[in-house]
Parts: sequence; C-alpha cells; structure tokens
Amino acid sequence: METHEHIVRSYEEELSSLNNKIAKMGGLAEQVLGQSIDALEGRDPDLAAATIQQDEAIDELENEIEEQAIVMIARRQPLAYDLRQIMAALRISTDLERIGDLGKNIAKRALAVVGEQQPKQLMLGLKHMGELALGQLKEVLDAYIERDADRALKVWYTDEDIDAMYNSLFRELLTYMMEDPRNIGLCTHLLFGAKNIERIGDHATNIAETVYFLVHGRAITDHRPKSDTTSSTPVPLRTAG
Amino acid sequence: MSFAIQTDVKEQTPTPAEGLEEKVAVRHLNFYYGEYRALADNNVNLYKNKVTAFIGPSGCGKSTLLRILNRIYDLYPNQRADGEVLLDGENILRPSQDVNLLRAKVGMVFQKPTPFPMTIYENIAFGVRLYEKPSKADLDARVEDALRRGAIWDEVKDKLDASGLSLSGGQQQRLCIARTVAIRPEVILLDEPCSALDPISTAKIEELIDVLKRDYTIAIVTHNMQQAARTSDYTAFMYLGELVEFDNTTQMFTNPRMERTQDYITGRFG
Repeated sequence: METHEHIVRSYEEELSSLNNKIAKMGGLAEQVLGQSIDALEGRDPDLAAATIQQDEAIDELENEIEEQAIVMIARRQPLAYDLRQIMAALRISTDLERIGDLGKNIAKRALAVVGEQQPKQLMLGLKHMGELALGQLKEVLDAYIERDADRALKVWYTDEDIDAMYNSLFRELLTYMMEDPRNIGLCTHLLFGAKNIERIGDHATNIAETVYFLVHGRAITDHRPKSDTTSSTPVPLRTAG
Repeated sequence: MSFAIQTDVKEQTPTPAEGLEEKVAVRHLNFYYGEYRALADNNVNLYKNKVTAFIGPSGCGKSTLLRILNRIYDLYPNQRADGEVLLDGENILRPSQDVNLLRAKVGMVFQKPTPFPMTIYENIAFGVRLYEKPSKADLDARVEDALRRGAIWDEVKDKLDASGLSLSGGQQQRLCIARTVAIRPEVILLDEPCSALDPISTAKIEELIDVLKRDYTIAIVTHNMQQAARTSDYTAFMYLGELVEFDNTTQMFTNPRMERTQDYITGRFG
C-alpha cells in the first residue's frame, strides 16, 4: 500500500531527503566493507588506505542525518508513520556508522598484515564470512528502501549463519596459534577481522529490527537463535576423545 | 510496498479495557440537525478518571458529540439524538432525564473563555448557589477550593472582587474551569479549551487537566494533535460523523490501525 503525500510539500521533501541520505550512507558502508575485505585478502595497502579514508564520508552523513532528524522533530512534531520514519533513520544511521568503523578497522588490519604469509584456507573462510555479511547488509538496506518487513525478518533470522562461521573460524585460528606461536601475530589480526565482520552482521540485524518496527510499529517478538559461543569457549580447545 | 495498516473497516463498539470503568458509554448514537445526520452510529467510551481526546477535521462531529453528553443541544430546536448515552449505566437521552441535574454532573468548558460579567468571586459562587444554599463561610471555602483546583487561586486571591473580564484570556479560561469544577461535576467536557490561548496558558491548562483527571472523567476536543497526544489517555478519531478509530493514545499516535487516522494525524492527503 502506498502512503499518501503530505499536504505540506516541504515535509515530504525532507522525509525523502532523509531516506536518500540513509540509502547513500548504506551504499558507502557496503563499499567500505567490500573493499576492506578485498584489501585484506589481496594484501593491498593502497586499497586499504583508500578505504580508511572513505569512512569519513560515512561519519559526515551520520552527522547530517542526526541534525536533520532533530530539526524535523522540532519543526514538524512528527506522529505515527512519520515519527517512525525519523526514528528509523536515526537508528539506522548509527548502525551504518558503526559498520563503517568496523570496516575501517578491517582495512587497518589489512595494512598491518601486508607482509605476512597467510594460510589460504583461513583467508577463504574470512572472505566468505565477509561476503555473507555484505549480502546481509545489502539485503537489509533494500528491505529498508522497499519498506519490506518480511525481507528484513529473513535477514534477522540468517544472522545465525555468520555467527556459525565465526565460531568455526575462531576455532581454526586458535588451532593455528597453538600449532606455532609465530602465527599468533597474524592470527590475532585475522581474529579481530573476523570479529568485526561478525559484529557487522549484528548491526545488519539491528537494522532489520528497525525496518520491522518502521513498517509494523512494534518490535519483533520472536526469539532469535544466538550462536556466537566463542565468548565461552575454553582455551586450550577441549577436543573429544 | 507492504504496509501494516487497515484501509476500510469501521470501528466497532470498543471493548472495555481491563481494570477500567466505563463512566460514559455512547452506543449507536445518531444526531440530526434538522434533516441532516451529523453523527452516524457512534460507539465510544469515556473511562473513569481518564482523559479521552476527540480529534478529526472541522465538521466531523466531535463538538456535536460533546454537546450531546450534557444535552446542551436541547436548547436548540430541530436538533435531536437517538441511540444511547449511558452515564453510570443510565441513559441520559431519555425524556425523563432532568437536564439541570445532568449539567451539574457533566460540566462543559468552551473554546472561548466565557466568564460572567461579574466579580471573580461571583463567577464561582453563582453556580454553587444554583444548586445549594451554603453558609457564607462554606461558600468562601467552596470558591477558594474551586479556584485552587482551577490553578488560578494564587493569581486572583487578592482581587476576588475584580471583574472576571479583567483577567487575561488564559486566566479567564482557568476561571471557567474553576467555575465548572465548583459545582462538583463527575465529567468535564473541554471543547478546544486552549485554541485561543498562548503556549504558557496552554501549558497551565494541560497541567490542570493532568491534575483534574484524578477526580474527574474528562473529554477534550482539540485540533492540536500534539495536545491530544500529551494530555489524553484515549483518543477517538472522527471523520464525517463516524468514529473511525478509538484506541489508547500511545497506540493512536505511534501506530494507528486505520489509514484515514494516519493520513489525518500526519497531515497527508487522504
């Protein structure tokens, strides 16, 4: 169902400008995440440096969105769907800003490990995890643009996949470190990189919750399966047998 | 685009919310100005010690509905209501209803302050004397109590003999609320009580509404959405003489169920 237009045209314009800024910010966050993973995988310091630079544009957009939302609340005193649109823009911009920061952090780690030999298997796992997170982010941003709560809900449920992948990568990295202490430096960077991707997945989940609230006016009531168990994984790893 | 809102369902009789007492229950109410039907099959509740706001575009029937609740319309020929308006379970539309008694129970405050052209003291005392014969001391106490409840005592206590008309607009409106409260009603009807007032006076009236609901059941008609959102516990949205949606105020202003409600409160073409 289409919503009707505001009688005051400038209000309509302000809302669509807010919407566009979120879309733009989302595009940038996708770019930062994608490039940071490419830089890490390809050990590309130039791409890493450029990516770190790009995060600034995301921060600027977050400030703009926050400022505009505050002015709109003061000036328009939004209600119902309008109020939810403005609250959603505020929340999503915060999540996107964090995603940008986490992407930037991955790029920084790419710079730190440029000279290191990287086990191919590990890099593949990390890249796959990054692609999954990127897919989630794209999907949830499309759900936002389309105001599609069902699509957002799917993203919300599939965060589990990223968590599961993080678990297995975590264990793999621990094994490498235990095998040879010389791996510890590299593996720590990769571990943080993986953790950053896992947290990007969490932010995509937050955005999914916001989209659901935006459309339905209530929070998702279901319980999401949480499967990041690494915070309670003992070291050294207990193995069966 | 999927969007969780209903487009075309008419509001049914509200189911009483748990723990709430129906002070006034409007059932299948129709109202006619001559041949013209201004209200069509309205069903709504006023819960005891709660504030219910009536919103809707001009001419939707919200003031008409308020005027039925104390049968002010009786003063005009060619106006009639059918259906039921139950005050504590008694139908006040029945011909045998004593309207003077009804109006003592259901007080009304209008859009424009309407103080009587007499002293501040007399503005309050006049109504009390219509129903009771208190001693001078009792009457003084009643006047003070009413002015305190109207949140205007401190501003007028030293000039009770001044004319009610010498007060500012906001003070006059609070005087009118005090006058309504003085005869100890059970329900207070406020018909756009702040539309002629500045923001400070408006805030004082809103604060007053908050205090008064502890002792009274209140209905307020307002064109100010934010005022409805701020002051009321329940909100009724009316359109073309029909009750479109009735719900608790928080729900109504964050997530209304009906498309027409949403269009109206957010200022959209509908």
